[in-house]
Formats: sequence, C-alpha cells, structure tokens
Amino acid sequence: MCDITKEAVFDAISMVIDPEVGFNLVEMGLIYDAIIDENCNVHVIMTLSTQGCPLHQMITQWVKEAVERIEGVGEVDVEVVWEPAWNISMADEHVKKALGGA
Amino acid sequence: MKQISSDFAPPLKLISPFFRFGVIFYALAMTALLFFTPDFHYAQMDIAGWVHLFLLGFVMMVIFGAMAQLVPVVLETGHAVVEVYYIIMPLLLIGSIVMVAGFWLAPALLPYGGLLVLVAMIIFAVENFATLRKSTLKSLTVDTVTWSNGYLLLGILTGFAIALGLAGEIGIHIDLMLKAHVYAVLGGYVVLTIMGLSLILIPMFSLAHGFEERAIKWAFKMVVSGVAIVFLAALTGLESGMYIGYLVTIIGIFFYLWQIYLIARLTVRKELDIWAKSMLFAYGSLMLSIVLGIVYFLNDKESILHASVWFLLMGFVASMITGHLYKIVPFLVWFERFAPLVGKQKVPMLHEMYSKEGASMFFWFSASGVILSGLGLLLEQDMMFKAGGSFLFAGALFLLMTMNKMLIYGKEETKGV
Repeated sequence: MCDITKEAVFDAISMVIDPEVGFNLVEMGLIYDAIIDENCNVHVIMTLSTQGCPLHQMITQWVKEAVERIEGVGEVDVEVVWEPAWNISMADEHVKKALGGA
Repeated sequence: MKQISSDFAPPLKLISPFFRFGVIFYALAMTALLFFTPDFHYAQMDIAGWVHLFLLGFVMMVIFGAMAQLVPVVLETGHAVVEVYYIIMPLLLIGSIVMVAGFWLAPALLPYGGLLVLVAMIIFAVENFATLRKSTLKSLTVDTVTWSNGYLLLGILTGFAIALGLAGEIGIHIDLMLKAHVYAVLGGYVVLTIMGLSLILIPMFSLAHGFEERAIKWAFKMVVSGVAIVFLAALTGLESGMYIGYLVTIIGIFFYLWQIYLIARLTVRKELDIWAKSMLFAYGSLMLSIVLGIVYFLNDKESILHASVWFLLMGFVASMITGHLYKIVPFLVWFERFAPLVGKQKVPMLHEMYSKEGASMFFWFSASGVILSGLGLLLEQDMMFKAGGSFLFAGALFLLMTMNKMLIYGKEETKGV
C-alpha cells in the first residue's frame, strides 16, 4: 500500500512556477489530477494556459522532477491534455485578483 | 481527454540571432529616417532602400525567427529541416545589406542582394511547406502559414524581377510589377502572418480563452482573396480590379479587428505593460491607417496615402513586433540560461529581465515619433516629420539598450551552467 497522497503530489508540484505569470502551476489551476497507484507510481494529468506554449516540454519535465523528489515515489509520468480547456476560473482567488481577472 | 503531441521547438541558439540582428536593423532604419524629407514617392530609390532596410532587415528577420519558433509548436510537428535556419539568417542578413546598398549607392548591386534574399526566402518557404506536409493538423493557423508562404514566394519573385529590371537586365513594366510585389509581401505575407501569429500570441500573453473564431475565419478569407485580386490586377494593369481587391482586403481587416476586440474582451491580464501598450498603439494605428486609406481613395491626395502607409508600417507592424520582442527575448534568454537552474536555485521571472523604465522610454519616444512623423506626412510639414524622426531615433536607442540588457541578463552568473 502506498502512503503518498494526492495532496503531497500537489504540494511538490506547487514548487514549479510559470516564469511568465509568476505563479505556481497548482495555484494557476493547471494541475487537473494526480493518480497514485498501489506501487506509488504517479500519473499527473495537467494542462497549459495555451496550446502554443514554447515551454511545454520543459514544464512537464519540471513537474516530473518535482514529483520524483517525493520520498518513496515510483515511476512518474505526466500527461498534458487540452480538454477541459484551462480558463481563469480554475485559478486560485489570489491569482485571479493579481492578474486583474477577479 | 485529448492528449497532445510533444514539443518540437527548435534550438534557441538558432533563433536568437534573428532577433539580435532584427533590432539592429530597426535602429539603423530609425537612424536613416533622420536623413529623409517627406516629399517622397514609393518608387523613389532612397525610400525603397529605407523600406527594404525596415521590411527585410527588421520585419522579415524578426518574423522568420518567430516562425522558426512557432511553426513547429502550432503544427505539432518538428521542422522538416531545422538546420536551414542557420543558412537563412546570414543569407537574409547579407542580402538585406546588399539590397539597401543597391538602392542607396549602386543599383547594379540590386540583383545580387535580391538573389541572396530570394534564396533565403525560397529556402524558408520550401522548408515551411515541407513542415506543413508533415503535419496532419487542419486549422486556421495552418491555412494562414500555407497562404502567407505562397504569397511570400510570389512577392519575392516579383521583387527579383524588379531588381533585374532596375539593374537593366530585363525589360519589365516596373510600376505595375512594384504594386504586385508590395501587395504580395505586405498584404500577403506580413499582414497574413501577423494575423496568424497574433491569434496565437495575443491570447497566450493576455490569457484570453473561449473566444469565437468566426471573425478571424472571415478575415482570413477576405485578406487572402483581396491580395490575390490586387496581385493579378496589378500584373495585368486592371485598375478597377485593384480597387475591388483593396476593398475586399479592408473588409477582411475589419473582421480581424473585430476578432481582436473579442479576444480583448476576454483578456484576463489587465496589467498595462510594454506589450499591452504596444498592442493598443498598434491596433489604434491600424484603424487610423485604414481610415486614412479610405479617405485617400475618396480624394486621391498623395499625402494621405503616405500617412496611411506610415501608420501601417511604423504604427501597426513595428509596434506589433517590438511589443512582442519584450515578451519573446526575455523568454529566449531565460530558456537558455535559467531553465536548467529551475529547482536548483531561484530563477528570475520573465518580467524581471528587462528594464521597465527603458522599455517605457522606448514606447513613449517611439509612439510620439510615429504620431509626429505621421502628422508631418499628412500635413506635408517637413519639420514635423523630422521631429518625429528624431523621437523615433531616440526610441530606437532605448530599444537597443533594453535589448542588450536582456540579452546579457545573467550571462556572467550562469556561465558554465
């Protein structure tokens, strides 16, 4: 049985910051889900704020590395999806406010 | 949930020279403005030299760099032969210099410069077509890239024919060919490319989502058709056809502006940074350019046409490009020097990588210069045009300084990383 929680995965990913907007991926609402199996393998489902993001590959790599730093984690893979499409309503309130969209 | 393909962005060391040299050419073009008087005709050699310095050296150079970065991202496939950009850059660089020297100093140089530019653009267009063939995507951006590259080829072929004509190598009707060339390059390539790129970049930087795309589809169809009509009419000397083409293009641009308005309404980021200010100024200039263009067709006064073209080139095209440079260049530098340090040490945010004061000075000097010189052209006031030119020159110095600061940002600290 694996004792890594979804919250721990989200906490680890919250260290990854989008250099363009200055907020971390979790507070931006870009991380949709983290599925953890019994062997502590983690499957992260996330999106990006835009399809043409030139940092696409790098951001997914950072997410992978951030999760791999969790003690006891197994294999980590990151899936980037476009549906549902990201929008500002998915971000935390303070992000909306800072960006002016609240 | 639909999964997307992996990233196919080309190496960034390949792209940054396009931006470095583009900015230098911009500064050279603004310097050259100090030596011009406004009583020009577009077929005049010194004006043609300036236009090529600006369009080839600055506009095309930056657009090619941007396309090298963005084409694989939007087509979701790697470049067919990405290494060709190492050849395109020096060919375009040397070709632009030789062409400008041809216009300003010795027309005999024109075919040589033209040939270098022709080869650079053919390589660029062919590589783009080869990359398009690899992509299975069907989207508006794919169509835009296809059509704009087709027009680029037509534009450069007519341009090369003009270069041969000016050098006395072949006998052609230069005036008609020139109209076809200008329209294919400006309307067919520059405007269509800006339309296509802005539909990706503006929502990306403003975080606008969920907007309708019907207007841009109409805009695209109208501009593609309008350019085709003007191009054919210019080659055949059918003046009425050209007017129909102008009208169709203008309607297309109205649709484009409507699309931008729809995106702007859904903009999440409200900060009025250098990029946002530049976009506002660019679209304001585009609207003014269209209004002046319409007034010109009604009363046929040359000075109004000059002002219209001025606001299109310096107000719209230049502001669109320079505004985006303050987003793209920090990203390129960050990607090269700081991306490997993510998770290991504190890395800067992109907006921390340029001088906001310097960028602001660039914007206000340049915007003032565009307005003053535009009014100078419109009112046929030589002093006003030159005053605007000096503002633009001062603005260009700030652009050079801020760009240099961005390009050397973190160079020492990250040495050996």
